[in-house]
Amino acid sequence: MRRWIGTTLAATVLAMLTMVPGARAQSASPAGDVVLRVGETADLISANPYAVSAGSDWTVVTGQYDMLMKFSDEDLSPAPSLATGCTPSTDHLTWTCKLRPGLKWSDGQPLTSADVKFSYQFVIDHKIPQYRSYFSSDPVFETPDESTFIWKTDAPSFAFDMPPWVYVVPEHVWSQYDGDDLKTIKAVENVPSVVSGPFQLTAWDHGQGWTMTRNPNFWGPTPTIDRIEFSLYTNQEAMAQALKNGEIDVADGLTPGLYKSVQKTPNIVGQEVISDWWLNLAFNFGGQGPNADPLPALHDITVRKAIQMAIDKQAIVDKVYQGTADPGDTIIRQASTYWHLDIPAAQEIPFDPPGANDLLDQAGYVDTNGDGVREDPKTGDELRLRIPASQDTTGAVDAGQLIVGFLKEIGIAVDLQPVTDAKMNDFWAAGNFDAYIWYWSGDPDPNYQLFVYTSAQCGAWEDGCWKDPTFDALYEEQAKTMDREARLSIVQQAQQEAYDQIPSVVLAYPSLLQAYRSDRFTGWTPSPGANGYLLSTYNYDSLLSAHPVVGAAPSSSPSLPPAVWIVLLVVVVVVVIAALRRRRTSDDET
Amino acid sequence: MGGQHYLARKIAYAFVTLIFVLTFNFFLFRVLPGDPVGILARSERLTAADVAQLRSQYGLDQPIPRQYVTYFENTVQGRLGVSLRSGEQVSSLIAGRVWPTILLVGLGTILSTIVGVTVGIRGAWTRGSRFDRNTLYGALVFYAMPEGWLGMLLLILFAGTLHWFPAGGYASADSVGFHRILDIANHLILPCLTLTLGYIGSYSIIMRSSLLEVMNEDFVLTARAKGASDGVVRRHHAVPNAILPTATLIFLSFGYVLGGAIVIETVFSWPGIGLLTYDAIRQLDYPVIQAVFLLSSATVILATLLTDIMYGYLDPRVRAS
Repeated sequence: MRRWIGTTLAATVLAMLTMVPGARAQSASPAGDVVLRVGETADLISANPYAVSAGSDWTVVTGQYDMLMKFSDEDLSPAPSLATGCTPSTDHLTWTCKLRPGLKWSDGQPLTSADVKFSYQFVIDHKIPQYRSYFSSDPVFETPDESTFIWKTDAPSFAFDMPPWVYVVPEHVWSQYDGDDLKTIKAVENVPSVVSGPFQLTAWDHGQGWTMTRNPNFWGPTPTIDRIEFSLYTNQEAMAQALKNGEIDVADGLTPGLYKSVQKTPNIVGQEVISDWWLNLAFNFGGQGPNADPLPALHDITVRKAIQMAIDKQAIVDKVYQGTADPGDTIIRQASTYWHLDIPAAQEIPFDPPGANDLLDQAGYVDTNGDGVREDPKTGDELRLRIPASQDTTGAVDAGQLIVGFLKEIGIAVDLQPVTDAKMNDFWAAGNFDAYIWYWSGDPDPNYQLFVYTSAQCGAWEDGCWKDPTFDALYEEQAKTMDREARLSIVQQAQQEAYDQIPSVVLAYPSLLQAYRSDRFTGWTPSPGANGYLLSTYNYDSLLSAHPVVGAAPSSSPSLPPAVWIVLLVVVVVVVIAALRRRRTSDDET
Repeated sequence: MGGQHYLARKIAYAFVTLIFVLTFNFFLFRVLPGDPVGILARSERLTAADVAQLRSQYGLDQPIPRQYVTYFENTVQGRLGVSLRSGEQVSSLIAGRVWPTILLVGLGTILSTIVGVTVGIRGAWTRGSRFDRNTLYGALVFYAMPEGWLGMLLLILFAGTLHWFPAGGYASADSVGFHRILDIANHLILPCLTLTLGYIGSYSIIMRSSLLEVMNEDFVLTARAKGASDGVVRRHHAVPNAILPTATLIFLSFGYVLGGAIVIETVFSWPGIGLLTYDAIRQLDYPVIQAVFLLSSATVILATLLTDIMYGYLDPRVRAS
């Protein structure tokens, strides 16, 4: 027994000791390859453009595929991509796009207008959920020649003025799945991929990371990065340490605390990305189902306005997001810079708890029984809100806890219930809540975000069942207005209507937090704008701009200094020898 | 004859337990809050008809008894279904995670067993000595320490401050061949050390206390009276009679290997079964959760069965009863 123990212990430890000193990550590719190492906390779930859902899926797919017209670097408005431009007929029934000459897929096959037609038709025929809403006008496609693509509809359509966020895929690869059911199509792993963008996914170790390699046939400027290696971290702190160690060059999706902490290390630069989502306290107006029982007082705009006035959004920004957010106002996110309405400070509903108390007093909502909670004069019920808050949304529960305190100041009680998004779905279906804290994001174009607030979406996307005929009319009008400037005006009116009527309190626009090592890569031109993303999100342009710092040591896995290994080795050998000698002595005694 | 009867009875118990676990797993995950298709539908723009189609594709529109029968048939035939989240085959998803978990938890269990048992024996034999006091306190501290916290401390010290080891993961993406083996070893050390330190306490404390009990037995005194040396008394008389509780613990621990180490795998981003379980529960990925729980339950049942058999072998009194 003892011999077995001693031998196994020695063998195990010695094996590990002798193995590890050289364990610095070695590059398998030709020396001199420029490798960008990225730490991610969001896993890659699918690299298939028809199955993208969450996590890092969009980062990977956007780095590989092109749209016919892309989102611009400045404000996400339509810009040339595979097409040099798309022009509408005067009646907006026909759009004609011209493709760049000489486009090729990564496998060398030519990329033509037939691929565009195939990709769009594939989405329509197979009802691909992520993209089908871009073809709601039932367009018909024509390809008179290899470089011309025509989109025709019976009614005027935005078509490429939106532009459709649909990736163009190679027909010669994907036609084999034409006619298959959605489940089969979504199961296609798509590694290695055939792409038109600057990088292609060449390796994917599930649960560990994935590698994207430069596409030699990319039509745009050649990236200086040969390869991007993504490593998955399930522990945020570990990712921050890896960035400090120099194991990775970029950390994506840091928490506010770690974002501030890593920037104290020399040569680490933070990137606070303009918000493309917002934290939302949405009210329930009821009507989802027979069990929907929201507080009737929420139909009174006075109550909603008092709640808005009692919430200190700046405190949420400072305490929940540690300053890495902006106070929220309207329902179109900040990243859609062209469309977002920034309500001037003078016209905002102010943070004013005494004013909120006055409003409620005047409307007859008073605390009749002295328990600190006001009662509804019509029903006699106390103003007590059941608010589920999403545990899966960054900051939702913390903001909820602050809101409990804010509303207590104006005599409104809150039963806050932190829930998973899975449980939140049950609440939305049943309608047995008074408000909820979750988030919204959406497209660069405002159409979809406005659409979800329309009355018809009660029971579908409008989880609080707000119904406002003025807002509905504005939505319909903007959807028919082809002139961009005229449409902007209507979109802003719709935002103003939602701001005034308060179906939800937009609490904050939190930033995505990224950081990179400036001693390894430089020249980043984030997109969109200076506060944009470092990694491919709406387009891949930022990845084309980054280049390695001359003379910088490449990132690598750290390992023990040789001196420490030698000391450990000596200690182990001494212990093993001592144990063996003692054993021999002990046996000799018998 | 008695031995065969004992074995047959134990195997029958194990089989019944397995059936119970299979059934329990099925119902347990259906009382979790939230509708899995609701989650899928939430992340994509689906119409009500599409949601119904999804529900039908995954068999979630069937009555619960029907779902159970399908589940039972499929599981018995080794068909574990596809992940609701990624559409991948659950069996291949698990296959990809088994090796990292065996490597981490298996090695951690072996190391902690060896060190824990050795320390426990030496501590008991030299009861009251400085070695005994120090190792006992040390064992208690590590035993009481939450392993996630211990992992974070080691990570911040050795990866963050000293830069000796990587901060997480299984291997660097570009390492190949022999260098990949070295690279995996480099990534393995910190999580394995955490696991080993966390487990040592239970082995050493149990070994120590059972040996202390045996040391007062008459047969130990007899051995000494016969003039046997200290080492011989310990190795041939005391330890073999004290090893039973620790051996039980060791066998059961190996049963837990395939269940993974959820906390440590999460702290060190180690892509094992534990991390898969954690992700699957968060996503309500029923097929994956069921398969992982079944796998870990089955290995624990198997380990328990082996422990029972070993008990019968090590201690004839158990077999006779």
